[in-house]
Amino acid sequence: MLRRLLLFNWVQFAAMLALIAIGTVAIWSAGSAREGAAFHAMWAANLRTAALGLALYFLIAFTDYRKYLTLVAPPAYVAALVLLVLVLVVGSEIYGGRRWLWFFQPSEISKLCVIAFFAEVFGSAEPLFRRREGFTGFVVAALLVGIPSVLILAEPDLGTTLTLAPAALVMLIAANVWRRGLAVLLAVGAIGGAALLGAVHEAEKPGVDPARRAAIIRYVPLREHQLKRVKTFLFPESDPMGAGYTLRQAMISIGSGGFAGKGIGKGETNHLKYLPPSVSMNDFIFCVYAEETGFLGSLALLSLFAALCLSGAWIAYVAADGRGRLIALGVSTLVFAHIYVNIAMSVGLVPITGLPLPFISSGRTFLLTVMAGLGLTQSISLHREIQT
Amino acid sequence: MKLKAEILPVGARTCWFAAAIFIAGLLTLAARLKTVQVDRAADATDGLRRQSVRRVQTAGVRGRILDRRGRVLADNRPSVSIVLNAGVFKRKGWDETAEAISNAIAAVAAVVGRPSPLTERDIRRHLHQSLARPLTVWRDIDADALARFEEQSFRLPGAAADGAQLPGFAVEETLERTYPNGPLAGHLLGYVGRDRAESPAGDEGFNFRELEMRGRSGLEFYYDGFLRGGAGESRLTVDARGFAGAVPEVVVPAQQGPDLALTIDADLQTVCEAQLAGAKGACVVLDPRDGAVLAMASAPSFNPDLFVPVLRRARYEAAAKDPDKPLLNRAVGGSYAPGSTFKPITALAGLTAGHAAGERHDCIGAYVWGGLTIRCSRTWGHGPLDLREALRDSCNPYFCSLGVEIGTNALVSAAHAFGLGAKTGIDFPVDYAGVVPDATWKMETYREKWYPGDVAQMAIGQGMLLVTPLQMARVAAALGTGALVTPHLKADRGPPARPLPFAAADLAAVREGLRLVVGRSGTGRRGAEGVCAYVLGKTGTAEVGARERRRKNTWFIAYAKGDATSRAEARAAEVAVALVIENGESGGGTAAPKVGAILKAVFNPREEARDAS
Repeated sequence: MLRRLLLFNWVQFAAMLALIAIGTVAIWSAGSAREGAAFHAMWAANLRTAALGLALYFLIAFTDYRKYLTLVAPPAYVAALVLLVLVLVVGSEIYGGRRWLWFFQPSEISKLCVIAFFAEVFGSAEPLFRRREGFTGFVVAALLVGIPSVLILAEPDLGTTLTLAPAALVMLIAANVWRRGLAVLLAVGAIGGAALLGAVHEAEKPGVDPARRAAIIRYVPLREHQLKRVKTFLFPESDPMGAGYTLRQAMISIGSGGFAGKGIGKGETNHLKYLPPSVSMNDFIFCVYAEETGFLGSLALLSLFAALCLSGAWIAYVAADGRGRLIALGVSTLVFAHIYVNIAMSVGLVPITGLPLPFISSGRTFLLTVMAGLGLTQSISLHREIQT
Repeated sequence: MKLKAEILPVGARTCWFAAAIFIAGLLTLAARLKTVQVDRAADATDGLRRQSVRRVQTAGVRGRILDRRGRVLADNRPSVSIVLNAGVFKRKGWDETAEAISNAIAAVAAVVGRPSPLTERDIRRHLHQSLARPLTVWRDIDADALARFEEQSFRLPGAAADGAQLPGFAVEETLERTYPNGPLAGHLLGYVGRDRAESPAGDEGFNFRELEMRGRSGLEFYYDGFLRGGAGESRLTVDARGFAGAVPEVVVPAQQGPDLALTIDADLQTVCEAQLAGAKGACVVLDPRDGAVLAMASAPSFNPDLFVPVLRRARYEAAAKDPDKPLLNRAVGGSYAPGSTFKPITALAGLTAGHAAGERHDCIGAYVWGGLTIRCSRTWGHGPLDLREALRDSCNPYFCSLGVEIGTNALVSAAHAFGLGAKTGIDFPVDYAGVVPDATWKMETYREKWYPGDVAQMAIGQGMLLVTPLQMARVAAALGTGALVTPHLKADRGPPARPLPFAAADLAAVREGLRLVVGRSGTGRRGAEGVCAYVLGKTGTAEVGARERRRKNTWFIAYAKGDATSRAEARAAEVAVALVIENGESGGGTAAPKVGAILKAVFNPREEARDAS
């Protein structure tokens, strides 16, 4: 038992508890600005989910992943694919997207399943698939990540796909999958992204002839609302009351917090509802937090996120086997991608995408997914003596 | 490590790579957050203020108007309105919000016992234009309605300040102008309307500006800048839809303007108005020593209290179209021929030109020059009379011939010396200069030559000569004191009096004549009859209008000084009075008795004055 306590990664655990506490307060503040008892009680709901999440966390952490991964990961992956298909067929439509199946979002859970299955395939000491360093390995990896990605994109949920991509990428690098192919993929991705931004910039910059704009937009593979978001990102001042409204309010909210913040529960843009209430509890909750706690609070939060991500990288480094290392890297990168994209979009560094901020945003499926992922990572930390 | 690397097929270096990416990413975010939250915090705060703060310019409190003894002539009364805060009825859509407000008003209407004065359109306009401000539902309600409202609001012990029973409704107290004496001094005081306050220089940034009281006529207009209080500023915080939540924050409290103390004596003003009652005319009482206006009345008059807080169009038009012109302040704006009240000026001009007071002129009942005949009041003539007797009897031929002898220029300069033909300089918006005609003026106005007949007419205050009662009160004062004052209404010292350019002996001679006017056999004896003071007076009966519609405007001007017989506190008093009644019988018969009554009110012991009036 003492050995267990020494192997337990306390940094990750403590950071997680602190983040749950901060998230609960932020959800309370965002909820108190809204009308309706359900919103006012959201913080308590978050605590209940966190309690459930902790149970899940410990259950997974103290289970030896090495014994069960081979058994669980392949069916979990298949189940995730089934659910992703199912959600497209019978899911409930909210805000123009089919993401909800009954009481949860399959896309959140599928991220973890993809990571676990990927680790199982590419991380074994005696790999199921030996030629991972060649072209075939690359194709298999691409299919493995690509099929669920396409399904999630179809919901549509661009954000989730975008967070899965870096996690997959880091795992591909770690697993030594066909480096040249990876380099080409990265280059194509970078060029494609730049071309996309350039095209939107050309089409949307002030004073462009509508016919020319339409001609360019025809070749841009973005949906209407995505195009608007990219436009807002490129030209934040172009439509302050329309598409740019949320970003403008987010910047006002975060900026007016200043160095030391306005005090917990005293955020003005939130309570006066300039920050749209529909997003203040989830995608833009960082604004609520940053306005009330200021730059100091932002730094504290970033430090906790750093502790969480780096402890994951450390666990990967000390992991007992390849599967553990891949899982730890995958989960950490996934969490990091969420953190980075969410905060970066709130401060105008990347276009707006609907992504929750781990532990701070309210959202049951995502919180449970993240805590399960961290539990899996903790399990890797706890079970790292080399098996003979 | 080597062993481990063999066992682990995947690279440890990637762990370092991932950690580096995590750190770099989070540092990027920290750097960006420093820019947004520290370097550009002021911009964001500014942006937040601009969208969430509404600046309201609040109306200043207008000063009161007091008479010389501090009695209130114009005051502010609290006016209670029931207002509604739209924020309490906020619903998802504007239609639903308007409906909720409409329903709430209907519910309170039953409590207050008054129908809702607002239409659906009014409510929508409020939501659209001044959402953040309280919506006034029932303006200026009476005590009864207020009691019913408050009973409902505060029935529960410990009810919230805005009323537990009627949430969203509140009582708002504002100030409205009131003239507690009704029509008294109506012309003098004028009335107020409401306008937006001028915004302070360089500050156009107010979202809402309350209407503040602004003088529309009379002293309210003239002293508007003096009476007006300083505008205040309060700030409202509004949410994303524009609803104001909290109580406004007062940044600059509204300032009360100073009280305006007048030279007017409300009692004397009452007496003067009583004397004019039922007639058309005007009356001015001055203190001849410093020009303080003690009373200034014009009839018919109007009640300014009916013109506030809102002057209804119908009411204004009724007054404006009345053929008796109740809105015309005849005391300063009426133009009258002075008639015989001008004769003392002709007399002084004659004396100055070298004619002696004892020179006699034979009055044959008319003055004839060429084709012009000016009749005397006594058909068969006064016979030979000197200056004093001519003044006493108001003999036309005497003054006509004197005027023709000394010429236009002498008359004009004497008239100018008494301030005729020029504004008096009174602190009042209306100050008609009148007309002192001469050859040039006649040519410019009528394209006609100036005949000796014009001089003869002017010498007896007829013809084209036009004066105001205020000017004639000033003439009376100057005749009594020998100096011309600038009349003033605000109770501070006016400009110093200007001595008349006439010899003391000449003035004394004219005063002897004016003394005879009010003597036993004088034309104006009824102006001083029973008055316990030393009185000088002059009657005037000016004929105006074409022959078939000829009317007489009757005058009496007087100077009076307290003496041993006066009421104790009036012994040192001096007054100058000018009174004109349109369409009267004669100066001595119509105007003089009224002036007598006014003088009695000033000088006689109280009981006597009361009996007399």
